[in-house]
Amino acid sequence: MKRSVWRDFTIGLIEENPLFGLVIGLCAALAVSSKVENAIFMGVAASFVMVASNILISVIRKAVPNEIRIPIFIVVIASFVTIVDLTMKAFFPAVYAALGVWIPLIVVNCIILGRAEAFAYKNGVIRSIADGLGKGLGYTLVILVMAVIRELGGTGQIVAFENTIISLKGFQPPQILQSFPGAFFTFGLLMGLLRKLQGKGE
Amino acid sequence: MQRLFLIFLAAFLINNILLIKFIGLCPFLGVSSRFDTSIGMSMAVIFVMTLASMACWGVWNLLLDPLGVGDFLYIPAFILVIAALVQFIEMVIKKVSPTLFKALGIFLPLITTNCAVLAAATESVKPGFWKLSLEYNYGLGEALVYTIGIALGFSMVIIMFAAMRERIEIAPIPHSLKGIPIAFIAAGLSSLAFLGFKGLFGI
Repeated sequence: MKRSVWRDFTIGLIEENPLFGLVIGLCAALAVSSKVENAIFMGVAASFVMVASNILISVIRKAVPNEIRIPIFIVVIASFVTIVDLTMKAFFPAVYAALGVWIPLIVVNCIILGRAEAFAYKNGVIRSIADGLGKGLGYTLVILVMAVIRELGGTGQIVAFENTIISLKGFQPPQILQSFPGAFFTFGLLMGLLRKLQGKGE
Repeated sequence: MQRLFLIFLAAFLINNILLIKFIGLCPFLGVSSRFDTSIGMSMAVIFVMTLASMACWGVWNLLLDPLGVGDFLYIPAFILVIAALVQFIEMVIKKVSPTLFKALGIFLPLITTNCAVLAAATESVKPGFWKLSLEYNYGLGEALVYTIGIALGFSMVIIMFAAMRERIEIAPIPHSLKGIPIAFIAAGLSSLAFLGFKGLFGI
């Protein structure tokens, strides 16, 4: 049973969505979803690292000895994360300051190592790109939805790239959505909602 | 002495790594469904995190910083140190104490990808990411206290949570919320409680 390349891409969006389906890589997702702008940058950064490391690992997979594959994967991922880290620091210092420790922590984001181990190590380059793109997009979508809910609900407006995109007038925003507990609540309820819509319990 | 106590408290309660900083959530959700696995995981984390931070402190202060390559090599260097250390600890424990290995064995490989360990190491070496209002630049002793605080905070929450989730298992809750979603909502409530510590002693 060989899945098509398109299927490799789409399965990451809902069924095997890294956050709701596989429930991995949560830490960064919760932390950066308090602002839409941060969520976009984090999504792009994580997707870039995922696609790039998938490509490289899939290219070198025949040369990697089985016993030391994990350290090799980690070094590959760490190199790409360093690229992102330094690029962001140079070109987007404000966002870099807001994302803080989360950029270096992409190294240990289980989604990326998980995809390297479960997919890129066993499949060809094209399919690995599709897989990385799909999982990256699925990840970005979820944190974007959470960020919209949390920023709009928590501050009453969405400000991205110095433009106010939406602003609710006469709305008293509950600040809890912006703070840490709000992230847990939003995620838990969204996940429950998704399960309800898919019609499956546990 | 007072400063050490404040650093400990800041790491342990006020900036609790799980509930306030969201770091290390994957192992948290993975092992907190049963009480005994959560204790095993806590022990492993306390052990590895302390050693890893010390090792990274040494690598940073003796190697990376004097050579001036710290800013762009710290991520690969720290993660390699941690991965090697975990492997090494696994081998030593296996040889020295088979009982301890039985208890911690399955958790050790998981810890390499536990972001809490990398975060604790980075933070005790390059303080500033988490913006505590203490003065920075930890010496070895302060970095040690800080790491132990983080590790104990992680363990306390994970054990507390395991007890809670065992009760939730038998509680009547909506079908679609069972399992992970309700765990998140419970985590939200605990996090709300921990927010109460904010500003304690002006930290």
